[in-house]
Amino acid sequence: MTVPALLGLPSWEFFKPFIVTGLALGGVYAVSGVGMVVLYQTTGVLNLAFGAVGAMGAFIAWELNNNTSLPDWIGYLACIGFGGVVTLLYGVAFGPPLAGRDALTKAVATLGLALILLGAMSWIWTDKARSLDLPTTNSGFEVGGVMVNWTQVIAVGFGVVMTVVTIVFLRHTRTGTAMRALADDREITATLGVPVRRVEASAWLVSGLVSGAAGLLLANLVGLDAATLTFLVISALAATLIARLSSVALTLAAGFIVGLVNAMVTPILSISQYRDMTPFVLATIALLWVSRKDIRVTGLR
Amino acid sequence: MSLDRPARIHAGVIVALLAFLVLALPSMLSAYWVDVTTSVVIYAVVALGLGLLMGRVGLVSLGQIAILGLGAWVAARLTYATSLPYPIVLLLAGAMSAVLGTLVGLPALRLSGLFLALITLMLAGAITVVLTTTQFPNGGPGFLGHTDSSLGSNAIRRPAVASSDTGYFRYTTLVAVLMFGVVVLHLRSKAGRAWAAIRQSEASALAAGVNITRYKLWALALASFITGIAGGLLAGSVGKLYIVQFPISGNILLLAAVLMGGIYTLWGAVAAGLLIKLLPALLDNWGLPPDLLTILFGVGILQVLITAPEGIAVQLPRDLGRLAGLLSRPFQRNQAAREEAP
Amino acid sequence: MIEVSDLTVRFGGVKPLDAMSVTFDTGTCGLIGPNGAGKTTFFNVMSGFVKPAAGRVHAFGDDLLRMPHFRRARWGLRRTFQTEQAIEGLSVLDNVAMIWEHAKHEGRGKRDEDVRGALSFVGLEVDPAAKVGTLGARERRLVEVARAVVGRPRVVLLDEPAAGLSDEETDHLGAVIRAIPEHMDALVVLVDHDMTLVSACCENTAVLDFGKLIAAGPTAAVLRDERVVKAYLGTEEVL
Repeated sequence: MTVPALLGLPSWEFFKPFIVTGLALGGVYAVSGVGMVVLYQTTGVLNLAFGAVGAMGAFIAWELNNNTSLPDWIGYLACIGFGGVVTLLYGVAFGPPLAGRDALTKAVATLGLALILLGAMSWIWTDKARSLDLPTTNSGFEVGGVMVNWTQVIAVGFGVVMTVVTIVFLRHTRTGTAMRALADDREITATLGVPVRRVEASAWLVSGLVSGAAGLLLANLVGLDAATLTFLVISALAATLIARLSSVALTLAAGFIVGLVNAMVTPILSISQYRDMTPFVLATIALLWVSRKDIRVTGLR
Repeated sequence: MSLDRPARIHAGVIVALLAFLVLALPSMLSAYWVDVTTSVVIYAVVALGLGLLMGRVGLVSLGQIAILGLGAWVAARLTYATSLPYPIVLLLAGAMSAVLGTLVGLPALRLSGLFLALITLMLAGAITVVLTTTQFPNGGPGFLGHTDSSLGSNAIRRPAVASSDTGYFRYTTLVAVLMFGVVVLHLRSKAGRAWAAIRQSEASALAAGVNITRYKLWALALASFITGIAGGLLAGSVGKLYIVQFPISGNILLLAAVLMGGIYTLWGAVAAGLLIKLLPALLDNWGLPPDLLTILFGVGILQVLITAPEGIAVQLPRDLGRLAGLLSRPFQRNQAAREEAP
Repeated sequence: MIEVSDLTVRFGGVKPLDAMSVTFDTGTCGLIGPNGAGKTTFFNVMSGFVKPAAGRVHAFGDDLLRMPHFRRARWGLRRTFQTEQAIEGLSVLDNVAMIWEHAKHEGRGKRDEDVRGALSFVGLEVDPAAKVGTLGARERRLVEVARAVVGRPRVVLLDEPAAGLSDEETDHLGAVIRAIPEHMDALVVLVDHDMTLVSACCENTAVLDFGKLIAAGPTAAVLRDERVVKAYLGTEEVL
């Protein structure tokens, strides 16, 4: 009798494919989380519209790929570009008027953006079931008896690579150092001659591009549905909360954990239907742990 | 307690409005619009809870619609499984919601308002997931009380005195008035003063001896309580509950409506109820897509946060007052001219 | 009596309070020092907003630092802030009543009596039902002082209560402050830059500079002390 069988769980074989999907989704959660954390620390804004932006980008890609004769890669680029442009525009337009307010107000404001996008998506594309094709999903390879497609590889790789790039960027470039300085103390940094607006704009733009890419991947891994994609931000949020909204490396790990746990619950039939509660459960545990130690959210690391 | 003139006029207006609402309005409306008005009243109570949290204590909850769904579930289950009188059913729905709201608030309160908002958003996600699976009671067997067979075709019971749509509307309005009364009593009491202190400055509240965590939890419990009761009212109103009535986006739309209606006055809750339930019905009536409303609410959030943080309920009377002032100026000038003339 | 021993506070590399030791005996005690000397930090330690790295504070025999911050008000600690913090949305009556409510447990009748007593003590002659947001700076300061003296206080910390007041208003405030120890049976610690006010109210004064106590004793003597003058002027030369 194997251990899983003793616990009434399906055997190891059944879990294996879910490890793959879990890691792939985890990669996207991780990269989304990293994007959100860097933006939050640089500007004080926790962008809750992250998912909505990516979702709309994915819809635009779908529209371009299925209803025009333009080559597919233009659609993908449009998705990523849309993410960057919309997020940057929001940041430039609504960042300054809310700059002095607290983090909660700024986050609630992004919900305004989320609603606008949700309404627009629902209006233009309605609720029909759609899927977004990526060429990388059609080919793959086998690992340990499980099929892995290239989109999943990209998702995992994207997560890891972006995190490493971000950590290096924050530590070794001027803009990155400026972002860390802003995270530590906005007022002093502004007086040091750091071009605050430009640094913030970079943060907005890059996190927007990431949200576009994340939307593209998720639309393919999960499905092209406005509400689902928008609220997948909750899983990325859980990762950022576990990392206390400050550690980029921890966000990466947390993203993968959220993705993995979520997926691994699937074959456990007794609780499978509740697997989407995973982000909530994990984030609550993390918050309970943090509040016990009464730690304050620290600067960007 | 004697009231001064403005307060007496205010009270008089409210009483007159309520009398009209309860006695005259139902006979003037078709069944569909009686239904809509009932929803407006129910969601005004939900908005009251969120407005209390945001305007008086400075807390944001992104899970109130989920709690509404929970309250509805509890009420539905109780009406099928027991023959408890309706007021008891409502109270139990409210109590369970209060317990959940407090439990969720506990870990997050000591961290910051942002964390509380996020954890309530996740709670909304969690409850939605659970309710999607367990679905709502409809007369079936077992703890969950749901069945897919035709056995589940009985509507949720209503109180004996209020089984008609009009009767239920009056019953709902009465309960809603009670909820507003409970909130008003709180605001005039020790809790209300403590909340005002917390909202202004946590440091000075602490220096005044206010146990901030306890009073924040109390506000959360109260808001969840009245939302749970609203859920019970909703269950009886619609007769059949489905998870699509409680989407996650609903939590955000509620937040938008409460912000736009105004979080610093009780009228704001009424305005929010109208925004959430009357506007969609009107749009539907005029053949416009409901997505327009979603976009409008999104714009509303941004507008309120950037320009008019007090919301329509304060802004509108103020605008109207300014308008009235402008309109009356020509008459004042004439008056002055007449007085000056020999 | 308040006994402060070796109180040290650390913020990163800075020590706003550095092994501060002082005793405040009775009546009204002054606490002065140049900007950044640590006076408000000391008050914040007393209020419980700042945790000291080391040291003890004993007030009337009780270990103040061991109490959770919100319980200190119940014990009898009262405080005003540099930027006055009366609750704008509440009436004058509610503002003062609130303090009473969180400090005592007697019936309502006694509450209104105590509140009106505090208001007349500070000489505030406005309608108690008026919202504080509608009052002027002087009235708001008096509301804050009323909050600080209602309901059996034992220690009253006043942080620059005369800031922004005219000479006449400051004189009135001084008279009120002088009367607190006797009427309310409380110990007052007054922080202010107005030396006239400090001389008029405080029999004894302590002086802080860079978080350390540099002088303590009868106010007149302390104000003439060379070290104190140097601290304020920041120079070796005697003018």
